[in-house]
Amino acid sequence: MPKNSKGREIAEIIPAKCIGCERCLAACPVPEAMTMEGGVAIIFPEVCIGCGRCFDACPTEAIIFERVRKKKAAKPEAAGAAEAAASVDGHKGVAVFIEVYQGHGAEVSWELMGKARELADKLGTQVLGFLLGHNVKPVAEEAIAHGCDTVYMADSPAFQVYLSKLYGRAVAKMCQQVKPEILLLGATAMGRDLSGVVATILHAGLTADCTGLDIDMEKRLLLMTRPTFGGSIMATIVCQNQRPQMSTVRPRVMKLPRRDPGRKGEIRTLDLGAQADSLPQVIEFMPKAHEVGGVDITKAPVLVVVGKGACDSRHLPMLEDLARLLGGAVGCSRAVVQAGMLPYVRQVGQTGKTVAPSIYIGVGVSGAVQHLVGMQGSDRIIAINTDPHAPMMQIADYALVGDYLEVVPRLIKGIEARLPSLKGVSS
Amino acid sequence: MHIVACIKQVPDTTQVKIDPETNTLVRAGVESICNPYDLVAVEAGVRVAEKYGGKVTVITMGPPQADSALRQCLSLGASEAILLSDRAFAGSDTLATSYTLAQAVNKLNATEPVSLVICGKQAIDGDTAQTGPGLATWMDYTQLTYVVEIIEVADGFITVKREVEGGTEVIRGKLPALLTVELELNPVRYATLPELVRSLRQEIKVLGAKDIGGEPERYGLKGSPTSVKQIFAPPPHGGGKVFETASDSDKVIEDFLSTFFEKESSILSEVLSSDGSDHAQEQ
Amino acid sequence: MKEAFDVAIVGAGPAGTSAACILAGAGVKTILFERGEYPGAKNMSGGVLYGQELARVLPDFAERKLPIERNIIESRLWYLSKEGGYNLGYRDAIFATERKHNVFTVGRARFDRWYAEQARQKGVLVVPGTVVVDLLRDGSGRVTGVVTGRAEGEVTAQVTLLADGVNSPLAALTGFRREVKPEHVALAVKEVIDLPAEVVDQRFGVSGGNGVTTEVLGDIVGGMNGVGVLYTNSASISLCIGANLADFATFKLKPYELIEEFKQHPMVAPLIAGGKSLEYVAHWLPEGGYDTIPRLYGDGYLIAGDSAMLFNAPHREGSNLAMASGRMAAETVIEALERGDCSRKSLADYGERMAQSFVLQDMKKYRGFGPFLHHHKEIFNELPRAATFAGREMITVNGVSKREKQKLIFRNARKETSLLKYLKLLWSGWRAVK
Repeated sequence: MPKNSKGREIAEIIPAKCIGCERCLAACPVPEAMTMEGGVAIIFPEVCIGCGRCFDACPTEAIIFERVRKKKAAKPEAAGAAEAAASVDGHKGVAVFIEVYQGHGAEVSWELMGKARELADKLGTQVLGFLLGHNVKPVAEEAIAHGCDTVYMADSPAFQVYLSKLYGRAVAKMCQQVKPEILLLGATAMGRDLSGVVATILHAGLTADCTGLDIDMEKRLLLMTRPTFGGSIMATIVCQNQRPQMSTVRPRVMKLPRRDPGRKGEIRTLDLGAQADSLPQVIEFMPKAHEVGGVDITKAPVLVVVGKGACDSRHLPMLEDLARLLGGAVGCSRAVVQAGMLPYVRQVGQTGKTVAPSIYIGVGVSGAVQHLVGMQGSDRIIAINTDPHAPMMQIADYALVGDYLEVVPRLIKGIEARLPSLKGVSS
Repeated sequence: MHIVACIKQVPDTTQVKIDPETNTLVRAGVESICNPYDLVAVEAGVRVAEKYGGKVTVITMGPPQADSALRQCLSLGASEAILLSDRAFAGSDTLATSYTLAQAVNKLNATEPVSLVICGKQAIDGDTAQTGPGLATWMDYTQLTYVVEIIEVADGFITVKREVEGGTEVIRGKLPALLTVELELNPVRYATLPELVRSLRQEIKVLGAKDIGGEPERYGLKGSPTSVKQIFAPPPHGGGKVFETASDSDKVIEDFLSTFFEKESSILSEVLSSDGSDHAQEQ
Repeated sequence: MKEAFDVAIVGAGPAGTSAACILAGAGVKTILFERGEYPGAKNMSGGVLYGQELARVLPDFAERKLPIERNIIESRLWYLSKEGGYNLGYRDAIFATERKHNVFTVGRARFDRWYAEQARQKGVLVVPGTVVVDLLRDGSGRVTGVVTGRAEGEVTAQVTLLADGVNSPLAALTGFRREVKPEHVALAVKEVIDLPAEVVDQRFGVSGGNGVTTEVLGDIVGGMNGVGVLYTNSASISLCIGANLADFATFKLKPYELIEEFKQHPMVAPLIAGGKSLEYVAHWLPEGGYDTIPRLYGDGYLIAGDSAMLFNAPHREGSNLAMASGRMAAETVIEALERGDCSRKSLADYGERMAQSFVLQDMKKYRGFGPFLHHHKEIFNELPRAATFAGREMITVNGVSKREKQKLIFRNARKETSLLKYLKLLWSGWRAVK
């Protein structure tokens, strides 16, 4: 155990394990002894008094502190825990906010419905749907077909167009009336815009972009797992004392449940007394051509992704051939967009789109952290790269070491030869 | 017009390297930078102030070292900078963070009423995009997220173009409003030397919980309903097979295809039976 | 920019920042430019500093939270062949107590940042992220300030100090220094190996924040004229190996090959075993010696540190000379400003101070050392081989009498190179450093 120059045994941070939650900082009694730097806690050894409180507070074992001392009675997690427990009581059901686009429920909402079903079954409770819109009864029926037990619907012209405050207040009101213990939303543009409003009105805990949801049966808590620090660490987050426990999930992270048109459920209409404000007012909507008719890389079952190592527009047709052969599309890394070879809508990664195709084929993609977080949900990963040590090659299920100009033509030839037999089997 | 830009200092994730042996990030010694989306927000604020008259105040919540991010914003033309730094703020989740920022904006409101708050769409370290909507809600301001163009600010109203699912919309709302902005809104200027020098010399106001008032139990850990229960390494993907194609590419690629078509036949037939427009995981 | 300064300094390394601290301490209005995002961002070096020189700039440096890696209590000198080597070391407890901080290791990125922060606290305007692209001059050619790469980026100053390093584009552009020739610089690569502090303690037999430096000579640089170093940091080891840039071209070797080989040497490998490589960087060292030093001053300007090719190659002292030259430049400028005369004549005092100090005296002493090494490649080839043979024979116990072994060693040494050559080597070596 390290000592400072005064001979005092002090605590030490393991940067690789620190998740930057700042609990240690909140616990540290000496103002100058700790700070955050680059998202990691640091201790100033000469100032540290070696009290060990940071060690007690750390949820991730990122602090080394071995000195034997009188263990202080652990303080309650937060003030007013008893009072909060009371507010937890009486909340039941797993709710999903159902997004509506042009009269249809968004796919992500059905994906969440499938997850909600699973969670509700564990908890022995109901799946609830929160639905706002105008003339959306068919959507409510779809929700039931996807596993919802009770749809709470507020059908009003006021909800024709999504507006943050209007929707936020309405969903918050639904929560106050229905008292669900969990509320799931899609991490879409709308879902992210809305969830912050609802959580703030309700003072509820919100965890964004979860990739895993489960239940701690003993404490009846939602375990919300999300990647942090660019996907290198998974953190499981809980919300002890506030209800509903809110979580957003990106599209295509959860599996779409089987639709059962014969499924029975209940539709309850809520009158939230919402009045459409005159403002803000949407003056104009311009649909994006590429998302209506063009390529949507998030929906392709197979994605051939061009990286810096294959950033040469002369060979793009060859990669498009490979994609077409498998019924897929061509995406790319950020460098390829920056080089002007493909448009931004094709970009995979943190600043681009999150994709989860059945087969991801990375061609010359080195696999920067920012890229990996956008494609880690892919079922099978094939990587083609000259550098066997590239991060993408490390995570790939199949790593082909070699020049893509050598590899891809042979792949195309080989796949062409095999396709007829495979199609014959499957159809 | 008084414009407030809220910024965050974040670890420079582009600098973060992966340890090839353990497949984890090497995080010690990573530099801190101003969140790139927030620089766009500050620039947008300065442009509005330049066009319509007014000033920009930059606010951040963070450790004392976050003052370098504030100075960078000053060099872009912001007039004042406030650092919200207090041990009481440590451990804030998005709810507590947006509450803290709201208290600071309230304090500014008392002396110089705020018309517009601009935030980056999201911070690159967390990607949650929740602080902006949270702040708008605490303040009860008009909330306009994912802004790609500020069309007009006039007579107590603001008109912007924003990115929404499936397209863009032009939307008009009342001031005071809170915008969260996309990177493509505007490029960030390269500071002139006199502005850079001003930013280096200017005093940064540091405010703690007592200075901005508010309910103490809404700050920091106490005001944060969420907490980390545990962390773990993500499950390794595959345990992949490596094919060295350099020696005999024809044969090796044939080998690969044989393995792939044999082992992944179910995925392949699923993929090939869909016509490409179906949902990727529909079964 | 309208505002005028007394002194503009280009480069916030040890030379520039030392000067800035002293100037600001005397109330001189100083602006310090750094091209990196922050001072230290563009920096790397073996990371050894000397307390005595630092104390002349900041007497209270120890109280200012100086980011020290390890306090050096032992210096080792290794003479290696490919397979083995000699180790000569000196350790003294006095360096942990009375003479603490005589030599210590630092991470230069952290140190430079800290150092510039001390200057800022003394009143220097430290301007990072800004490249000085040219110098301002009046009609007579006198330097009147600098031009930066930013809009409204001209700054006038009575004196400009060039301290922007060995590959100073400014010195070349303005003609204040001759273009650096490949044989006048060394290309060094550094790798930092991450190891727990306890492991470093154990492997070097130290504790309590103390450490060891090792200079490495011999056949480790592929027969080129070059050296290696191995420094202990608090929880890592810095390995650095470099050779003359001209030799790299002649020998067709790659820097990373050198360091890989160095890492595998039987005397190095156990020290870094199990460690992970944290960073790998390359840089230049000005090792041309005394004869490549440019004129150190002129009308309205001075040159210090690596920009002035100040580097004591045999002792691997660079930052020391940089700090001292920066300090002397500042002392000169303070007096010149008091006189109200910053002409070449008035600044000539800098040359005088330097000539009388250890900086130029040491440089002069080793004037012939560079050419000596350059012309005697046997130091890096035949000699280490002969030495290895000698070491092995003397230590191997195999029934052969010691007298017989001496004969063998002598014969082998003669085989490697002639007796006359050894004598010549000794003679010219002595002349080079006397």
